[in-house]
Amino acid sequence: MEIRLKNLRRSYGKLHAVEDVSLSIPSNTVYGIIGKSGAGKSTLVRLVSMLEAPDSGEVYYDDKRVDNLSRKELIEERRHIGMIFQTFNLFSSRNAADNIAYPMEICHMDKEHIKKRTEELLALVGLERRGNAPISTLSGGQKQRVAIARALATNPSILFCDEATSALDPQTTRSILALIKEIQKKMNLTVVMITHQMEVVRDACDRVAVLDSGRIVEEGKVSDIFASPHHAVTKDFLSSLTTVRESIIRWSKEGGHYTLRFRGGKTDEPIISAVSSATGAIFNIRAAGVQTVDGEELGVMITDIGPEGEVAESAVRMLEEKGVHVEESGEV
Amino acid sequence: MSTMINLVLEATWQTVVMVFLSTIFSMVLGFPIGVLLHVTGPEEHGGIIPHPVFCSVLSRIVNILRSFPFLILMIVLMPLSRLIIGTSIGTMATVIPLSIAAAPFVARVIESSLKEVDPGVVQAAKAMGSTNWQIIVKVLIPEALPSLAAGVTLTIINLIGYSAMAGAIGGGGLGDLAIRYGYQRFRPSYMVAAVVIIIVMVELIQFIGDRISSHLISRR
Ligand SMILES: Nc1ncnc2c1ncn2[C@@H]1O[C@H](COP(=O)(O)OP(=O)(O)O)[C@@H](O)[C@H]1O
Ligand SMILES: [Mg+2]
Repeated sequence: MEIRLKNLRRSYGKLHAVEDVSLSIPSNTVYGIIGKSGAGKSTLVRLVSMLEAPDSGEVYYDDKRVDNLSRKELIEERRHIGMIFQTFNLFSSRNAADNIAYPMEICHMDKEHIKKRTEELLALVGLERRGNAPISTLSGGQKQRVAIARALATNPSILFCDEATSALDPQTTRSILALIKEIQKKMNLTVVMITHQMEVVRDACDRVAVLDSGRIVEEGKVSDIFASPHHAVTKDFLSSLTTVRESIIRWSKEGGHYTLRFRGGKTDEPIISAVSSATGAIFNIRAAGVQTVDGEELGVMITDIGPEGEVAESAVRMLEEKGVHVEESGEV
Repeated sequence: MSTMINLVLEATWQTVVMVFLSTIFSMVLGFPIGVLLHVTGPEEHGGIIPHPVFCSVLSRIVNILRSFPFLILMIVLMPLSRLIIGTSIGTMATVIPLSIAAAPFVARVIESSLKEVDPGVVQAAKAMGSTNWQIIVKVLIPEALPSLAAGVTLTIINLIGYSAMAGAIGGGGLGDLAIRYGYQRFRPSYMVAAVVIIIVMVELIQFIGDRISSHLISRR
């Protein structure tokens, strides 16, 4: 299901938590929304998931407007979406299977059907035979699996994930992301993935929107954003990616004056030599590395370009003409 | 000696009946009020139907009733007993003021138990399309059950104390026995017997209540 947001606004007193957000989330994708703590991510997801009404603006699921539904319609519509949370929010009074059964119970589904579907869902998330487990006996990763199964019980077409992996260790995060991606394909879901971790965007998302102080400051395909980030906040998120640091080889403790980002195919071309011989620029490479984003290889290089002035400027121009993204005084 | 045993047994039975019935009636009255206090409260504390005006008016009323000294409330409510069951004296007549006096207490106990339920869990239930009724019955109450059980225990123990006081104004039961025989007729053995039985009752209820609460928790 496609989700469209038009000029959404939500304030709490004087605080503009969400400020004029317009966005189109295509059907059948994993769509990331990244932002720092307090950026308004949870507020935005509450508006989009009909948990809260916006002060102004519109929310559409396909062509159906959902931000102004009556109470009854709202309850009905909510039964067709799924949602998971950072703190899992499972019912401690119910075991794993009964948690998964809850959304079906409230729709008054047939008991036999609920039982059968619960078994299917437990298997889907890799928790066969753990149906009787009390929630407190499960690990964080298992709890999130139960939460995912519960969210999918009524065959929703949208799954909202609000910081779904933020409480998990890196290894568990990867397995949960892999599960979400697998389920997305299997059920043709539209997944909206809220996060403050660039790793999550890199490993799981097709597209991403960067949220800052309630506004979308950048939006696009994940590989495009990684190759050529524009907004300072996006660059910040990219530089905080620990695995970039790990993948980079440093020749110098000092940072260079420029950060170059190369895309997939171009990594093979001898761009640096070409630019160097054409402009007479000298490259002093401080650090470089490659990482895989969305199946595409992205190169990062931190370098000085000299001599300063005209030569360096023409070298930068030429690099950009060749499709390299150049940031000045970069530090990865 | 045998008359004393008979009198003590009779008084104990009256106390049990009074406490039992007034527990039930005060729950019937106080439970919905407690639920209302919670669900109409602010959203960040887990209120699902926030209604500040209704909530604060109800809260005031509960506070006023709770701050009434129990004995005075009993006396004020005596005519009500006469109206409902035709007399204002005796075990049955005491149940009505007891229940009404304990109801606001019950409401607060229930409210505070429900407040302990994680608002995130309630939000999840809402996101799945639960009606308010489903949230109350299938989420709030089951999630709060161990704490609710502790609240019921506390209520029963309070009612044992209240019922003893009610004895002073013609209510029957162990309090009545202690005052009429132990105090007014100088028979300390009656006083001691009544006090010991009340202590045993309280201990017993506390023991059972604790067991139930911890059993409910251990299954989670
Ligand atoms: N119910 C609320 N009442 C008042 N302020 C809120 C409420 N929810 C969020 N806020 C405020 O809105 C801003 C954005 O919050 P939130 O959407 O939770 O951010 P994020 O999820 O990105 O960390 C924060 O400054 C937060 O304090
Ligand atoms: Mg948040």
